Amino acid sequence: MEPQGIALPVTAYQSDRSDDLAAFERIMVRCERRVLRIALRLLNNPQDAQDAAQEVFLRLYKHRGRLDLDDARGCEPWLFRVTVNVCHDIARKRGRSVALEDAALEDGPAVSPSAQHGMERAQQLELVRRALGRLGEKERAALVLRDVEGLSTREVAAILGSSEATVRSQISTARLKIRDFTSRLLRRRS
Amino acid sequence: MNCAKWKIDIALYAGGDLPAKRLARTVAHLEACAGCRALADELRVGQTLLSELRDEPLEDMMAANVRRRVLARLPIEEAGAARRYWRWALAAAVVLPLALMLPWRTEKQAPLARVKQAPPQVAEAPSATLNAVNVRRPVVHRHHRAKPQPGEPLLVQLVTDDPNIVIYWLVDPKPQGD
Repeated sequence: MEPQGIALPVTAYQSDRSDDLAAFERIMVRCERRVLRIALRLLNNPQDAQDAAQEVFLRLYKHRGRLDLDDARGCEPWLFRVTVNVCHDIARKRGRSVALEDAALEDGPAVSPSAQHGMERAQQLELVRRALGRLGEKERAALVLRDVEGLSTREVAAILGSSEATVRSQISTARLKIRDFTSRLLRRRS
Repeated sequence: MNCAKWKIDIALYAGGDLPAKRLARTVAHLEACAGCRALADELRVGQTLLSELRDEPLEDMMAANVRRRVLARLPIEEAGAARRYWRWALAAAVVLPLALMLPWRTEKQAPLARVKQAPPQVAEAPSATLNAVNVRRPVVHRHHRAKPQPGEPLLVQLVTDDPNIVIYWLVDPKPQGD
């Protein structure tokens, strides 16, 4: 047990550094799930999503001098922008294609007659998840931030560095594509 | 009714993203068109499903993994940052003095540059001195003559643009090593 009332000899640098680290950890705890979720929706792969989230937080630590780590809410747009960029980089590097996954889904076992009338929620969610994977990277990023994460069009535009009109165009196209994909798949199954 | 042009606005309407000035027109169209109402309903279902993805639980292991990996990398990142700092400092220590010396050196060389840009009348003057010789590649005129006898040296005359300069080149036809 440490003796009470004795101040440890901490230098100013160490104190700053431990403050930084504490603030950094607070932000990480607060935002890690959201960052992971965005990465997971953008990359469609848990391992890649973890790699992306790790890179995002390492970049946050690297740029901690430019950000106010005590203002977690203020850091979120920066974090989301970096998440989108890192995910795009990873996706390009891996050259991942979702075509095979779609093929697997389309060739999967036929849905039982009872499920044909009311497909279970989990299956519908799976369809939407796959449909997301079919979108182009910009449309997917816009739709994930707007419809999955529930950010406003203005916030999405700021994160993606584009205009609100562009984001509106991307999300409307993406919504229509998702609807077309899911209804086409449902028709094929029935 | 051709409703293709309405699709974009209906997709925005379903998510509540339609600007006010287009909203009234779209609502009026939806009231009149059953097909577009069905499309709007389908899009709303999609919207609901997408927002449900937000509530899907993430595995706790994923977040814990990321945190552990990030915290393990921090000392390496800091060491890397320190290395980068020293590398830049060293580069600056080398480049800065050179950069500071550069203006002084260009000032010293300035008179030479002026000599090169001689006034045109000097360049057009008859070639009286060696300095005024045209620096263009000389045109070589070859005067063919009868083939030299074996052992006889070959004389090559090179005529330049300057009539005062003729270059004679005496070539020994004997092969090397004789």
